[in-house]
Amino acid sequence: MTQKTEKTTVSFSDEVTSRHGGETLTSCYQCGTCASSCPVAKLDSSFNPREIIKLSLLGEKEEVLSGDAIWLCCSCFNCQERCPQNVEIADLIYALRNIALEAGHSPNIYSDFASALIAEGRIVQISKFVEKKRADYGLPPLKPVGVDALNKILSATGFSKPEKTEAPK
Amino acid sequence: MEQPKIGVFLSDCGKQLSEILDFDALTSFVKTVPNVALIARGSEFWRGKGLQSILDSVKSGKINRVVVAESLTKISDINIVQAVEDAGLNPYLVEVIDIKDHCAWPHRATPAEATEKAKAMLLAAIERAKLLEPIEKLEFPALKSALIIGGGIAGMQTAVDLADLGFEVNLIEKTPFLGGLAARAGRFFPTDDCAICIQSPSSDVKTITHTSRKCVYRSGFSEIPNLNILTNARVVAVEGVPGNYKVTIEKKPRYVDADKCVACDKCVAVCPVETPDEYNANLNNRKAIYINVPTVHPQVYVIDEYACKFHDCAKCVEVCPTNAIDLDQKPEQVTLNVGSIVVATGFREFDSSAIKEYHYDDYPDVITNLELARMIDGFGPTGGAIVRPSDGKPAKKIVFIQCVGSRDRRYNPYCSGICCMISLKHASLIKSAVPNADVSICYIDIRTTGREHEYYYERAREMGIKFVKGRPTEILKDTETGKLIVDVEDALLKRFLDLEADLVVLAPAMIPAEGTKELAEILGIDLDTDGFFKEYNAKLRPTETKQRGIYLCGGTTFPKDAPTASLHAHSAAMKATKFLISGKIVKDQRTAVVNEDYCGDCEFCPVTCPYGAISLEPTTENHFVARVNDLLCEGCGVCVGTCPLNAIELRHSRPNQMRAQVNALMSVNGASKPLVLAICCQECGHTAVDSSGMAKLQYPANVRVMKVPCAGIVRVEQILEAFKAGAQGVMVVGCKSDGCHYEVGSQNAEKKMDLAKVLLKEYGIEPKRLEMFKMVFIEGNQFAEAAQMMTARVTKLGPLKLMENS
Repeated sequence: MTQKTEKTTVSFSDEVTSRHGGETLTSCYQCGTCASSCPVAKLDSSFNPREIIKLSLLGEKEEVLSGDAIWLCCSCFNCQERCPQNVEIADLIYALRNIALEAGHSPNIYSDFASALIAEGRIVQISKFVEKKRADYGLPPLKPVGVDALNKILSATGFSKPEKTEAPK
Repeated sequence: MEQPKIGVFLSDCGKQLSEILDFDALTSFVKTVPNVALIARGSEFWRGKGLQSILDSVKSGKINRVVVAESLTKISDINIVQAVEDAGLNPYLVEVIDIKDHCAWPHRATPAEATEKAKAMLLAAIERAKLLEPIEKLEFPALKSALIIGGGIAGMQTAVDLADLGFEVNLIEKTPFLGGLAARAGRFFPTDDCAICIQSPSSDVKTITHTSRKCVYRSGFSEIPNLNILTNARVVAVEGVPGNYKVTIEKKPRYVDADKCVACDKCVAVCPVETPDEYNANLNNRKAIYINVPTVHPQVYVIDEYACKFHDCAKCVEVCPTNAIDLDQKPEQVTLNVGSIVVATGFREFDSSAIKEYHYDDYPDVITNLELARMIDGFGPTGGAIVRPSDGKPAKKIVFIQCVGSRDRRYNPYCSGICCMISLKHASLIKSAVPNADVSICYIDIRTTGREHEYYYERAREMGIKFVKGRPTEILKDTETGKLIVDVEDALLKRFLDLEADLVVLAPAMIPAEGTKELAEILGIDLDTDGFFKEYNAKLRPTETKQRGIYLCGGTTFPKDAPTASLHAHSAAMKATKFLISGKIVKDQRTAVVNEDYCGDCEFCPVTCPYGAISLEPTTENHFVARVNDLLCEGCGVCVGTCPLNAIELRHSRPNQMRAQVNALMSVNGASKPLVLAICCQECGHTAVDSSGMAKLQYPANVRVMKVPCAGIVRVEQILEAFKAGAQGVMVVGCKSDGCHYEVGSQNAEKKMDLAKVLLKEYGIEPKRLEMFKMVFIEGNQFAEAAQMMTARVTKLGPLKLMENS
């Protein structure tokens, strides 16, 4: 416990509140409406929006950024709708993900998505099986995506292939 | 007017000041000033021999104006002015300055410069004294009567206090019966006393044994001859001024004659109409003719005009043994003339249906604390049994949810303060009556800050009430069993709980009473950001408003428990008494006055005046001029600062007086640094200068201070004049924006200084030479820092460029 207190820094909450989406962090008073509103938290105890906010407020940067939790949010916005302090919780999770990504933390699946997007223009590859199914259902064949055009946009926005981090435990 | 003959009295404060200031130089300087008839030097002039010497000179006619250089202005000022008035000189012909805290002490490091500044201060005081005008005392008649709006626990107690003191008191209540929210609460925490007993009037005031000292409702108040109780009534209009209000009251018809009704219940027995009983939170039905509870005041039936069939039925009229029922009663208007008004309109529960996920609207077994209070009450709809409203079966599992619509930025951001105790009370009462009941309270934070309140919380835990730290997200309904399920995370366990409940009790926010906003408009008083009535000053004037004759008490300023509401009520009665007791209002004419030759048709000052003291009145040539009501005017000068034509002035702070002071302060230099003028409001800015001196904080002697009533009086033109007079920099020092003693003065000054900076630029003067500061009395260090900062700033800027041209 003492160790934890030592590494605690308040500057992380400043870092979060200065981010787009993270501004409302300090309004939280830990009522837990978000947690009980959250469909993910009820299935997976490693994700609890209230806890993520508390850890961010206490400056537990590593714990927040390196863990799995922030990537589990399904963006249903239930918490954000019901929060009595108008904390924009779902937006806050996005802000944390951005910070994590910049710090080199992201689950491999996200870097796989990014690589696929850059290479193929889609995050999920379309298999032959899918293409055949489409034909069976009478759907038109998929048009090729403009990978070059997409890459122009991606490089203009600063999107680059994120470094692969160690697979989360 | 008689030529000014000025007496100048120089105190060295027991030689403290003469160690720093050269008093011989000061004396010879003052001698050279025209109109000075007398110079005296002494140890102190605010008491004893020193004060006597001032009075002797006044009485002998040797002097007719007094300038005193003293220390501790705040006390010496009062003493000297009062004594001089007793000696027969108008007190407004006296000018007291503080050469200790404003000069000798802060500039002790540079005695020569300090002496020059003292000369400037003396000259400014003398020049101002020459231009001072006597100000008369005004007397306004005031009625020794009061109107109390709201017949709840606060309003009733204020009414009794004032009536006992002999004032004519009118107590009005908008519902048909007295008692308010407190009477519906069943019991009060932390003592669990009955609340309902407070509704029963004593029928015999003469018999001491039948009256209660503890309980206002049994104190026989309804029999006090000078207390006029009007129920079913509301205020529709208020005209007039403090001391003389004309109030129009609209009385809804009761359809039952109070003088004839004997409360025999025959009418109720025959009435065929049943309608939900809103007094009992619609948990039961009542008849169209009814009385709330047996112990209510007045003991007179009332007809619910929305439910009654009137002449289509009229069964009650037939059975009434005293012919008390009159179905043709019409609303009537009553006019009351009162000297003072006390607002005691209280608060109410927030409508919980706004929070959809709690289903207050559609699940009958989701109720509020007030509804539960009616259920717990033995006189209530269930006779004290805790049941599920949906089927009337006993409720065994009860879950409370705290902070419903309070501490919620979407609805009411504040903590209502009393709901934790209300829920603890209800949970404990249920647990005492039904020990095997399963009672849980879902909370964000439990707040039990009052006296003995924490013991109440302790007792609740001992009784086995469960506490869940978490705000539920939703109340669900099991479609098969019909049971309610409260979905909540216990944050301490980090576990999701589905709490099964027969009954869910919401603790809604407490919000201002219905019609609060309209009443505030009628009375011309302000509301705070949460919509409650705003007191004049929360710390020192908690029951007063900016209108001198209008007071506030009870939950009308914020939700209160009964003890706090009582305290507030008695306090308001005291303030109203102070105001009413002499039957007149005596006030110095320290007010604004309009020069009607210049004034015309604009609406700046009437709109700006924080006290509504200025009105536009038509003159003969079909044009309007501003008129100041001396009774309402507080003499702040916010209007002066607003007038585009300089058509309005303060009698005690005329523009020529201020100009003479500025010129004098700038005419004696002797400072090694460029002169800076600090225009300070008398309330905060000037007292901050006092406190910086008292603390012996140092700042350079080039900073010269002028006192004005309020920063709001300062006009842009005055700033330009100050530069012209020789100031290299100007500071305006006022109160904090939310602490301005005249509501808007400091804010107005700030806006005006921004405008002045734009103009200065046009004139080629660096805008940085002007700055507005806001500080309170204890922030003397900030004044010293600001003075140093401004000095450094103007030193760096160099001499003012336009000096030669102007």
